[in-house]
Amino acid sequence: MAKVGSAIKNFFVDKFWRTFCVKWVWQGFCVNQMYKKFDKWKAWLYLLPAIILLCIFTVWPIINTVRMAFLEGYSGLAAKGGATFSFGLGNFIKVIQYKRFLNCLKNTVLLCVLTVPISTFLALLIAVCLNSIKPLQKLLQTIFFLPYVTNSIAIGMVFAAMFNIVGTAHGTANQIITTAGIINNVIEFFGGTAINWINAGSSPAANITVMVIYIVWNALPFKILVLLGGLQSINKQYYDAAKIDSTPRRRIFSRITVPLLSPMLAYVVITGFIGGFKEYTSIVGIFGETMGPPDDAGRLNTMVGFIYDSLSTNSQGRASAAAIILFAIILVVTLINMQVSKKRVHY
Amino acid sequence: MKQDEKVTMQETATVAADTTDKSVRRVAVQQTIVKVTVQVLLYAFLIFMALIVLFPFYWMIISSLKSLEEYRLAVPTLWPRTILFKNYADAFVTAKLGRLFLNTLFVGVVSTLLSLVITVLSAFAFARLEFKGKNTLFAALLATMMIPGELFTITNYSTVSNFGWLNSYVVLIVPFLVSVFYIYLLRQNFMQIPNELYLAAKVDGTTDLKYLWKVMIPLALPTLISITILKMMGAWNSYIWPRLVANDDAHRLITNGLRNAFTDNSGNTNYPVQMAAVAIVSFPLFLVFVFLRKYIMKGVSRSGIKG
Amino acid sequence: MRKLLALFLAVALLSGMVCFTTSCGKDTTRGNFDVPEGGYDGSEVTINFYHTMGSNLSTVLDSYITEFNKLYPNIHIVHEQVGGYDDVRDQISTQINVGNQPNIAYCYPDHVALYNLAKAVVTLDNLIASEIEVARADGTTEVLGLTDAQIADFIAGYYAEGQQFGDGLMYTLPLSKSTEVLYYNKTFFEEHNLSVPTTWDEMGALCAQIKTIDSDCIPLGYDSESNWFITMCEQYGSPYTSATGDHYLFDNDTNKSFVKTFREWYQNGWLTTQTLYGAYTSGLFVEQSATNSYMSIGSSAGATHQRPDKDDQGNYPFEVGIAPIPQVNPSTPKVISQGPSLCIFKKDNPQEVVASWLFVKYLTTTVEFQAEFSMVSGYVPVLKSVAEHPVYADFLAKADGTNNIAALSAKVCLEQESAYYTSPAFNGSSTARDQVGALLTKCLSAEDGGNVNAMIDKAFKDAIDECEYNG
Repeated sequence: MAKVGSAIKNFFVDKFWRTFCVKWVWQGFCVNQMYKKFDKWKAWLYLLPAIILLCIFTVWPIINTVRMAFLEGYSGLAAKGGATFSFGLGNFIKVIQYKRFLNCLKNTVLLCVLTVPISTFLALLIAVCLNSIKPLQKLLQTIFFLPYVTNSIAIGMVFAAMFNIVGTAHGTANQIITTAGIINNVIEFFGGTAINWINAGSSPAANITVMVIYIVWNALPFKILVLLGGLQSINKQYYDAAKIDSTPRRRIFSRITVPLLSPMLAYVVITGFIGGFKEYTSIVGIFGETMGPPDDAGRLNTMVGFIYDSLSTNSQGRASAAAIILFAIILVVTLINMQVSKKRVHY
Repeated sequence: MKQDEKVTMQETATVAADTTDKSVRRVAVQQTIVKVTVQVLLYAFLIFMALIVLFPFYWMIISSLKSLEEYRLAVPTLWPRTILFKNYADAFVTAKLGRLFLNTLFVGVVSTLLSLVITVLSAFAFARLEFKGKNTLFAALLATMMIPGELFTITNYSTVSNFGWLNSYVVLIVPFLVSVFYIYLLRQNFMQIPNELYLAAKVDGTTDLKYLWKVMIPLALPTLISITILKMMGAWNSYIWPRLVANDDAHRLITNGLRNAFTDNSGNTNYPVQMAAVAIVSFPLFLVFVFLRKYIMKGVSRSGIKG
Repeated sequence: MRKLLALFLAVALLSGMVCFTTSCGKDTTRGNFDVPEGGYDGSEVTINFYHTMGSNLSTVLDSYITEFNKLYPNIHIVHEQVGGYDDVRDQISTQINVGNQPNIAYCYPDHVALYNLAKAVVTLDNLIASEIEVARADGTTEVLGLTDAQIADFIAGYYAEGQQFGDGLMYTLPLSKSTEVLYYNKTFFEEHNLSVPTTWDEMGALCAQIKTIDSDCIPLGYDSESNWFITMCEQYGSPYTSATGDHYLFDNDTNKSFVKTFREWYQNGWLTTQTLYGAYTSGLFVEQSATNSYMSIGSSAGATHQRPDKDDQGNYPFEVGIAPIPQVNPSTPKVISQGPSLCIFKKDNPQEVVASWLFVKYLTTTVEFQAEFSMVSGYVPVLKSVAEHPVYADFLAKADGTNNIAALSAKVCLEQESAYYTSPAFNGSSTARDQVGALLTKCLSAEDGGNVNAMIDKAFKDAIDECEYNG
């Protein structure tokens, strides 16, 4: 690539000198002036499609969301019917006081707090191991990346099938079990008792466990990729120096690897948190749009799910308020993350 | 880990103290043993993790080939007794996958092409052209990346319904044509191409578009390929927006159709057929992955966002 | 200037006269739509109709559209299956924002309550009361409104559904309806000399008895938890919701006590529901090899799903019996009525509205259409006189528990025409419906932590909170 680049460069640079002189003599300063003038509106011309689309689908939504969020009880249909809405914080108050919203917030935070550290730690472990082997490295790397190129709804359905009990399990006189699901089979094989993971009557803890396993599985590839990339770019000289000094491996890891990897770690943690706060489709994948086991719909609903639910009941005001709250949370968490990493990260 | 460390310290001590031939050989043997053990442990761990990662795929494939009776056995079989390819045909029919595939492909290709054009033009303007407010505008664009997409959805939903776009291909393509992230990515790439090239071309009378096409695009090709793949994968995986705005038979996309085809309450779900459908949907992604692994990994490591 | 003044005067006079004549024709005008003078003027209009009909029903509809066009050749009906009921609702509620909603749609009461936020649904009172004669293409005329005989022919409970929006105005006309019936395994009942329960007390005793005969079974399956809760409220006469004032009234002791009883039944293994079973309980009812049930309460329109598959010899493994659902008090029975009604949307051109009305009226009051539509759909007609229509009477006469199970179910429905009740509809009534269903499901199966009453109290309170938020 570099070769091609320099060839093209040479070609143009040569030509540049030849033609530059000729043009300069022939047309003088005015050509340059003309180009400059032309440039001014030409840039906008190039940007026009992007700007138009951004105005309609990005800028206007931001303005409108803020507007709707502060109009109490705003509903598109009611607005059409001529209803007027007073200005105030009503939507925010309603949303924050709503039990289900708190439940959504709790789920979102819980999933974030559980999955981000677990997946980061596992990814770091795998990346370090991958980095210290030679044969099979490429193959294993590919395998670990595989979950990334999947459809999270589709593979969610596979996970659901693995945890699903076919039949009904209620722990009462009317339970019918046909298949306990492969995960339960494995548990039973090792002498444990089958657990009702996702079916009617399952416990919140079991539900969350399934979600954590799935989300971690889903989050690993990206993290491994970034961390391994980081590891491979660490200058070998550091390690050679450490070797000469006979530094123990653990010290090498904590004094060289982690500090030099810290920008990458900060990156995967920050993106992990941002992604975690927007968790939605992975839950749809496993539990379907009821967002919970059949007998308790909405148990695992998240912030994003909450926003969409508000939309479907035509309460755009509350949906907007919830979206702004979500934005604020993400902003704060990201700022905290950045603040922490500023102190800890060595660039 | 622990064993590892102990040995390392031992090794340090030995090297410092002893220099005789015999002990050097002993140390060498010891070192090899340690190295091998560490390597074996590393491989054991990695292969174990790899198996865990692969297990859902394995389960998907063998389940998709079983009969419903075999799937429902209390003690599952790890390999189907009779391989039923018929499930795949059934899945294709049940979930109406043909239409879903075509819709997704169409939306993916068109939106990728248009998106590339817009991204290239914008990135070019930001990288090469001088105009008033360029930096402010670019900073403003980057700032919008912080805002969660859900915030846009609320209004965009009513915008597109006001345009009368609901249940059409347009609604699946147009609202997401501009990606600030892709513009940013490509701009960075364009900036690396020396400016003299551009000035030379300009003086030479080469038009901007020709210059873009002949020089910039070939040089930025890897980035463009990454963008293309990410965009296509995005179309393949998108769920929330399509479900909201185009959930009719004619325009439904693959993810949406997949989830809905098997959630009716009419009776017992045929899991093998469902798994077959999932496998069919996953297959094209794997294919793309196998052939374009390098670009995907490159693009992904810089994006941080799935799809 | 003088000309202009004259014109102005003429217009004022004319509009005054119009007001005069319309107010003269009827003592009062009601609702949001005034019938234009002369009714339908024969102009070309296109009417869009959203529904959920499958291809069988669309064929029936098409043939009657042809008939309708013989009377009104300039009214063009364009109909479209939009998906399920929720899809129709979602599609229309977004289209109302833009103003391109259809003219006519299949609706449930809570859909209309939603559309009413935007004041988009035409009230039918003035149309029903109109006595304007409309000319038809075959040379005859008809009265634009409904005659007293036509109104009386509607099954009263179905007709009343159009007026349950709290303001006493009429918003919908019923198209075809269904109710819930009790399907039972007649072969099993006869074999063990069991009698079909008519009250819930008898039902409880029967479940216990069946459990002693077949300890592995779950005697009863009830498909819809929401319907069950609401019907029990009606049967006990205890409050559920109100269209005006404080909407959500279901948190009371009567309701808690029946929920508690059913919880005990569930814990005994006597019953299951659709959510708890994970699929329609008809699956459990027709099950032959594994655990099964002997009774199933489900929609009368789903009769064919309650019939077991034929065995290898082409015989049904058992015969299905159909009876009304158990009651609290058999002398004042209450059963739910479900199924689509039709509503008409406002349009700038009043002729479109009047033309829509003519078509709605045609579908709901034409005996032949009602008969044929009912036979194909499994729903029951909304007109009493359909039962006397020869084809439909013949259909009912053949009713049995095997091949003609749909007819049997229709017959059982028609016998209970006085028992139908309607629930108030308002914005949030569908939330209440969902919540009481979820509430019942939860109370049946949840761990009580040693204190059943506290668990039930909390579940009721949570459900009310949920309703209050969404209402």
